[in-house]
Amino acid sequence: MSRKTERLVNLTIALLATKRYLTKSEIFRTVDGYEGTPEGKERMFERDKDDLRNLGIVIEVGTFDPLFEDESGYRIKPENYQFQLGELDSKDIALLSLAAEAWRGAALDSSALSALVKLHAIGIETDSEALPDLAPAIISKDTNLALAISAITSRTVLSFSYLSETLQEESRVLEPYAVASRYGHWYLFGMDLDRKDLRSFRLDRILGTLSTKGRAGNYEIPQSFSVESHLLETRSQQMAELYLRSGRALALRSRSTEIFDEKTPLGWERVAIEYRDEDRMAEEILWYGEDAVVLKPVTLRNSVMESLQAGVIRYG
Amino acid sequence: MAEKQSTPLEKAARLLDLVPYISTHQGVALSELASEFGISESELLSDLNTLWMCGLPGYTPLELIDLEFESGYVSIRNAEILQKVRLLTKDELVILLVGLDLLIKSIDPKRNDLLSAITDLQTKIKTIIGDIATIAPIVNSSYRAIVLNAITSRKNLQISYHSLIRDELTNREITPIELMVDHGYEVLQAYCHQVGAYRTFRLDSIAEIAISGIQQPLIEKPKADEAFQMQIAISNRIRSTLERFRITASQDAAAKSGSHTAFSFSQDWLIRSAMSTLAATEVLSPPNSRVELARKCRKTLDLYESAVFGKIT
Repeated sequence: MSRKTERLVNLTIALLATKRYLTKSEIFRTVDGYEGTPEGKERMFERDKDDLRNLGIVIEVGTFDPLFEDESGYRIKPENYQFQLGELDSKDIALLSLAAEAWRGAALDSSALSALVKLHAIGIETDSEALPDLAPAIISKDTNLALAISAITSRTVLSFSYLSETLQEESRVLEPYAVASRYGHWYLFGMDLDRKDLRSFRLDRILGTLSTKGRAGNYEIPQSFSVESHLLETRSQQMAELYLRSGRALALRSRSTEIFDEKTPLGWERVAIEYRDEDRMAEEILWYGEDAVVLKPVTLRNSVMESLQAGVIRYG
Repeated sequence: MAEKQSTPLEKAARLLDLVPYISTHQGVALSELASEFGISESELLSDLNTLWMCGLPGYTPLELIDLEFESGYVSIRNAEILQKVRLLTKDELVILLVGLDLLIKSIDPKRNDLLSAITDLQTKIKTIIGDIATIAPIVNSSYRAIVLNAITSRKNLQISYHSLIRDELTNREITPIELMVDHGYEVLQAYCHQVGAYRTFRLDSIAEIAISGIQQPLIEKPKADEAFQMQIAISNRIRSTLERFRITASQDAAAKSGSHTAFSFSQDWLIRSAMSTLAATEVLSPPNSRVELARKCRKTLDLYESAVFGKIT
């Protein structure tokens, strides 16, 4: 067990310390821990390189002399090994530490811990008094969230089974681009390879565990992709007008703007509300029963009225 | 805490991080170091013993990392090569990016110094990994801090609470007991002094919050109580409707067709949910819920058909 750990650390030290590329034979000769047959050492070294790359360590491959076909060698450039966020002050460290703390006990607990260790290792005393009292927390323990994030960062295709609106299990193959949390739910965005289009999936509707397909680095996320702007574009806003009974339908009221109109009956207010999904909006209006009456658009008003008529027949 | 065996790779990563940490914290106590790295002291000792065997090729005392950890305190020498803090992995950058999102939404807009520091950090991170993760939090982090603070110091809270079920905003004095996650939402279990009973409050529905001076003796936890049930049949938008009634599709035996059972501590919540999903749901029982729904549908439809609301202007 610890022989392998030792070898990985020693390899890292040797590749970091060298100013020139080390050839494989030099590595086998000088770095402690490479033993056995030539093929065995070869396999060991290949696996070690993959392992170090999984830790985010960049190993460069090059030759001594570009003019001649030489045996290639390896090194780790110190600038690619060390902390990359540049100069940070104590306020930055405090903010980043708090950001990492939000994930403790949640889906990415181990990444949170390793990030915290690195931030603290910088050795700048943080002044917690400088920050307001905040307790940020991510509550998702969904293991698929961690899997999705590492698939995105490693550019690995995902396949999974997704629960459709009619409860069918659909299999999906996706080049994952981004994750986002909205209204308390996590969504996964990416290029659906069967449907050849950008799609989003609510993580808690994925059945079972995400599985990876093929090797890392099999696709690129388009340079122009930004999850923030994608979220804004996906569905256009529509405007509804409603009467709300005074003092009622508080949640609708809180995101509406009042329209002053002398024809508004006493005890009611006329308001305008933006919405994106008509079905959802109809459900929300019906939640408030006789305290909300929708006027516009006609399609929304008709769908609410049809539901009510069906209800009168069904329950009457 | 159960001790989980680290893989050789996890252990190697930890060794690479231990060196810079000890270098900037020379003479750190073993116990402190173990808790910082989230491992037991015996695992830490095994790490340090391995680290002792590492160094530059040659592996004579001149090249090996030199550690001192005899008396419960750790110092390191001869480890210049590994002294630099390791770069953050992309996964670590993602969680920092998202974590900063949580902060930015909870900081007083007047703290410009902090807000611009956060924006700068987020910009730096996005240039490395792209704009690939974001969160719009539904709970204010400073509210959560106040709740946690009140629980540990056994103080009461004064809240202004927006109840979606009762469709009202009320001011209450509560004794907080425990923060929990219920159906994917953060909730606070508390004793409400206005109603003289235990209540569950959704954190995202707390409009205002402050610690009140009153201290409370320890209160026993209430039992989970989901007393009311409703039998429903769903004809379309099955997934969304099950989600609204908080029925897990895979758990529910009659998932594909037939009837489902919804549970709640509030009868009103069940009725409102059934109203919301009129287009997709039929309530089969209890009979009094059907009567109540008939009344509500009739009354609401009357409004639409009345002269005042009937005409679209």
